[in-house]
Amino acid sequence: MSDDTTTTEDAPAALPGDGLREGIVDDLRARIGDALVDSHIAPNDDVWVRVTTAGWRPAGEALKAAGFTYFCFLSGIDWMPSPYGKGEDDPDAEPVEPDTEIRQGVTGGETRLQVFARVTDLERHVGITIKADVDDDAPVVDSWSSLYAGANWHERECHEMFGIGFNGHPDLRNMYLPTEFEGYPLRKDFPLLARMVKPWPGIVDVEPMPAQDDEDAGAEGDSS
Amino acid sequence: MGLVDKGRLPAPLTKLFNMSRSYSLWVYQWGLACCAIEMGAAFGSPRYDVMRLGVIPLPASPRQADFVCVSGTVTDKMAPAVKRLWEQMPEPKYAISMGSCANCGGPYWDSYSVTKGVDQILPVDIYVPGCPPRPEALLEGIVLLQQRIKNEDMAAKWRGDEFTTLQRTRAVEAGEVDRDGELIAETHSISEDPTPDARPEPIVVGGGPIE
Amino acid sequence: MSLTDRQQLSYIASQAADARLNVELETEGMTLNIGPQHPATHGTLRIICRLDGEQVIWAEPSAGYMHRGYEKLTEVRTFPQVTTLVNRIDWLGSFANEVPFILAAEKLMEIEAPPRAQVIRTILFELSRIANVSLFLGDLGVQMGAVTPVFLAFRDREYVLNLIEGATGGRFHPNFDRIGGLKDDLPKGWIDETRQVVKKLMQFCDTIEDLLFGNEIFQSRMRGIGVIPADIAKDYGLSGPNLRASGVDWDLRRDQDLPLAWDKVDWKVWTHPDGDSWARCWIRLQETREACKIVEQLLDQIPAGPVMTKVPRIIKVPAGEAWVSTENPLGEMGYYVVSKGDLGPFRVKIRSASFNNISIVPWVLKGVYVPDVITILASLYFILGDIDR
Repeated sequence: MSDDTTTTEDAPAALPGDGLREGIVDDLRARIGDALVDSHIAPNDDVWVRVTTAGWRPAGEALKAAGFTYFCFLSGIDWMPSPYGKGEDDPDAEPVEPDTEIRQGVTGGETRLQVFARVTDLERHVGITIKADVDDDAPVVDSWSSLYAGANWHERECHEMFGIGFNGHPDLRNMYLPTEFEGYPLRKDFPLLARMVKPWPGIVDVEPMPAQDDEDAGAEGDSS
Repeated sequence: MGLVDKGRLPAPLTKLFNMSRSYSLWVYQWGLACCAIEMGAAFGSPRYDVMRLGVIPLPASPRQADFVCVSGTVTDKMAPAVKRLWEQMPEPKYAISMGSCANCGGPYWDSYSVTKGVDQILPVDIYVPGCPPRPEALLEGIVLLQQRIKNEDMAAKWRGDEFTTLQRTRAVEAGEVDRDGELIAETHSISEDPTPDARPEPIVVGGGPIE
Repeated sequence: MSLTDRQQLSYIASQAADARLNVELETEGMTLNIGPQHPATHGTLRIICRLDGEQVIWAEPSAGYMHRGYEKLTEVRTFPQVTTLVNRIDWLGSFANEVPFILAAEKLMEIEAPPRAQVIRTILFELSRIANVSLFLGDLGVQMGAVTPVFLAFRDREYVLNLIEGATGGRFHPNFDRIGGLKDDLPKGWIDETRQVVKKLMQFCDTIEDLLFGNEIFQSRMRGIGVIPADIAKDYGLSGPNLRASGVDWDLRRDQDLPLAWDKVDWKVWTHPDGDSWARCWIRLQETREACKIVEQLLDQIPAGPVMTKVPRIIKVPAGEAWVSTENPLGEMGYYVVSKGDLGPFRVKIRSASFNNISIVPWVLKGVYVPDVITILASLYFILGDIDR
């Protein structure tokens, strides 16, 4: 062992309680005001906030000032149910009318596309997930890349996968896909062509095994 | 060698050439994904020791290699590079496709960015199935490739024909088999010698279908 | 600090040499392309460097050669099928990839694995950490021209793979974790064998420390190279040993409450104040030792009982959103799982460690010399599947 090393032996700080999370939300509300639309606290687990599209960048600044210095990830989500189903339905069964209603998740929302990010406070051992609506017609939000340097690549990925633009991002080139690739793969209306050509062969997986009676609650939960 | 070109080389000499080729194979390791680690274990670890089979896993460039082991997922973005690499290799050259992804897309059969099998871009001689295959399976693939090389009719290859075995050429010359004769594809085992007209098709280790 | 005359003279001479170099050797910008297939890139990463003389003035990794579209594919798989996929993200420590996803699904279903399954999960998690990092330690030598360590690493890694195979049936991709527990119990004799192997692995760590870390060349190629300060590291979202090597004391195994067994054993989180390449490698060596210690202690504390809790045959996860991340061999790996109450997830955001770890490359490579590019990339330690997913 070298001499120039430090080790940590002190006990970890107490796990954050919900009081801390409520305090964080109140603090954020004090910093950005009406831009904070909604918040949700899962007891003893996690905290979500939703901000307006215009409040996305100020919320990031406020969070960084509030001690959330560790950038975890940034991504997008498309809340529209896939028009193609999951592609694993029984081909013989009666086709079910696909559900087309857009239902947003925790903390709600008004648009089909949302961006969400997670930042962590390493001192207080607490993370926060922050969401914002993205206008369907002009899917653009402000960039975080000058705020959190790590957001640069995440925004490139998000732009490539969802077609969400980021104002002020230095370089929104494709990262994963060839430049001539068309479409935004993670949008729900992007079809997986291989699945259209060939039905999902894994349908047999969810059928009961021959030797077992098909009781609903068995100890064996696996189906792979 | 003009003699070989015309297919006039005496059979024992061809066999000798083929045997020398099959036991000094320089392999270019085109490691792409998980299989690359198992390939590294087969080629680089003391436990599996591929050099005892006469395979040298050290060429620095595809231009020095006799066969390429494509191990792992080939994506659409990577495919041009794989094709370029294959073009850089000098003839005679062979390809082993290692792992389900390189064989047919594997777990990413429905992905939007994965090439469904490296055989779409280069001709594959040996398929090694598995996800990833054990190093032993790759070694068996190499042994099968050596058998294939030992029985190859190089004159046919240089004429631009498909892969043909020596025995098959002889049989065609003797009028026993039609050139487009029906091919027998059966489960192959290392112990038995390939029969005259068997296995001009690519070989699958273990004998099963790729999918 | 005052300089002696001699030091001052040599400083002036070196400055003058630098000035002359720029005048007399008129350098022209050159673009150096490393990859996509290059032994130093651990896979298919391509790095484009603009050079001025021997110095890198601009570098940009070009990822995507291994992009397989995981996040889209998870949307068309059922929950148990997703573990088969996510195994292959970080292919050296496969089991560790399954755990956060399964924990996220369990969180949504509000169930918890039995205590025995939790402990076995932790053991296998740490074994996959050893399988992952031991190859890193061996590969480290290759980057600097030393071939012996990689043979040692492959030899000793084989013991760990045998253990994982003995317990799960898969050398590489176990697919052993199930929602609600584990597929199977441990086989007979596995615990005794693991004890033997852990001893061998401790010896392996000692060998590597003597052979590699004690080597003068290794030290001078690593010390003071590629320094990443703590605030930059946090800004870029570096995690795992890369973050701890910059002096940030943050380990998700200790700092969050997960239904796994790390809080039952005595181990240490190592940090290093330097933030250079050496520190990153050294932290990984220490973590392998700590992983051995964790496994050794947990082997004595496996509680009796079932390894699977009661779950329905056909798993439907209730609607909701959950984020679970664990301290994987490469760093923080997390899954943001959105379920709509179907058989499969609605959306899975996979936060993989290497993606963030490698996004710092343009920053850290600016101004370094060409030979250091390789050691810095090696010490950042990434796996291509983990970057591109």
